[in-house]
Amino acid sequence: MSNNTECVHTDFYVRRLHSLLGIVPIGFFLLEHVITISQVLGGGHAFDAAVAKLAAIPHDILITLEIVFIAIPLLIHGIYGMYIAMQAKLNPGRYGYMRNKQFTLQRITAWYLVPFLLWHVGYLRFIVKGSEGISFAQMSSYLDNPIVFALYVIGLVAAIFHFTNGLFTFSITWGISKGPRVQSVVNKMAWGLFVILAAVGVASMFAFIG
Amino acid sequence: MAEQKKVHFIIERQDSPDSAPYTEEFLLDYRPAMNVVSSLMEIQKNPVNKAGKKVSPVVWECNCLEKVCGACMMVINGKARQACAALIDQLEQPIRLAPARTFPVIRDLMIDRSVMFENLKKVQAWVAVDGSWEVKPADRQNPYTATEAYEISRCMTCGCCMEACPNVGPQSDFIGPAAIGQAHLFNLHPTGQYDKHKRVGALMQKGGSSSCGNSQNCVQACPKQIKLTTYIAQMNRDINKQALKNIFSK
Repeated sequence: MSNNTECVHTDFYVRRLHSLLGIVPIGFFLLEHVITISQVLGGGHAFDAAVAKLAAIPHDILITLEIVFIAIPLLIHGIYGMYIAMQAKLNPGRYGYMRNKQFTLQRITAWYLVPFLLWHVGYLRFIVKGSEGISFAQMSSYLDNPIVFALYVIGLVAAIFHFTNGLFTFSITWGISKGPRVQSVVNKMAWGLFVILAAVGVASMFAFIG
Repeated sequence: MAEQKKVHFIIERQDSPDSAPYTEEFLLDYRPAMNVVSSLMEIQKNPVNKAGKKVSPVVWECNCLEKVCGACMMVINGKARQACAALIDQLEQPIRLAPARTFPVIRDLMIDRSVMFENLKKVQAWVAVDGSWEVKPADRQNPYTATEAYEISRCMTCGCCMEACPNVGPQSDFIGPAAIGQAHLFNLHPTGQYDKHKRVGALMQKGGSSSCGNSQNCVQACPKQIKLTTYIAQMNRDINKQALKNIFSK
């Protein structure tokens, strides 16, 4: 410990990186994702137009953006996140405080999202987008299966919660909100954002199946 | 005369550090103003379990009996707290006692909290005054800072925050809320602040403040109402500043 100021502090930097990646770029991508799928609320044509707009981005640029701003950050955040989640012994039964329930949900949603995102990205991005392409008609028929629909709604709400609750914990982890009052305000704002995004997201999911 | 009121205890016991835990039930005669420690003293005097069998007395630790020393911390009805301040009249029966398993169990309700002392050593939770220089009276402390310092100085290393924290335990290397609060306490001290970089540096290491998961159970569990989450956030701030210094000044 005597030479602790000389250490490289790898663990500290990786944890801060994990925290930052959850907001930028993953959180921003989630926002973009919800906005894109919410176009379906304006009808199937509006959704197809939004998909076409994204498809208009030149292929090489799109692939680069996807790898640098989505794939790599998601892998780092997901793999290191599993390591973090494994260091917790969940105890909301004994300590049923709201913040502890949020802590528990943050980890439960993480464990759901790992297989969900592998399935979601693997099927829709690699298989469907690589063949027939994403469209309102294709999504409607895909989500028509009630099991797929339920798993997607859970996945969407879980991702939104993980993001908005992550905004709250980010503000503490980075020492931005320190005292109980400001932490409570940030937490309420995060819950507000969760309600808005979840409402828009779930409504969009229902719009797909008409 | 009315029937004697009884107090029902279900105690999680363990004969040695490595043996398997088991539960034993006790029925005690109710007396006004009983608390968990006085009940355990009754069991010590007459160690007969609910079935009427004489057993070895339940082992636990206590000292001050006024919520100042921290020694009698145990899990009472699921929550970590001081046994001396747990009044029977305010507890739901049957009263379940268990050792704080975040720490190694020595026997019954007695635990080994030496990790907390080791943590205080890691963050240099003291003021260095020894040296080859003349020791003069300490610098004056800002009275507002002193108020904050007094709050944190009441920490009695009881371990409630460690037991309640989901990130402290054998599965994790997290140093826990108590030592982070104490590091901040000595960073506030007029002389102690000279070693602030060492404390912040220690908490920047693996298992330091960044292993906090923000469940915020510690601030709820603290019997001394120390605003642990506030000081963890302060330490996160200090660590970020230190990290910037490390990156750009070295």
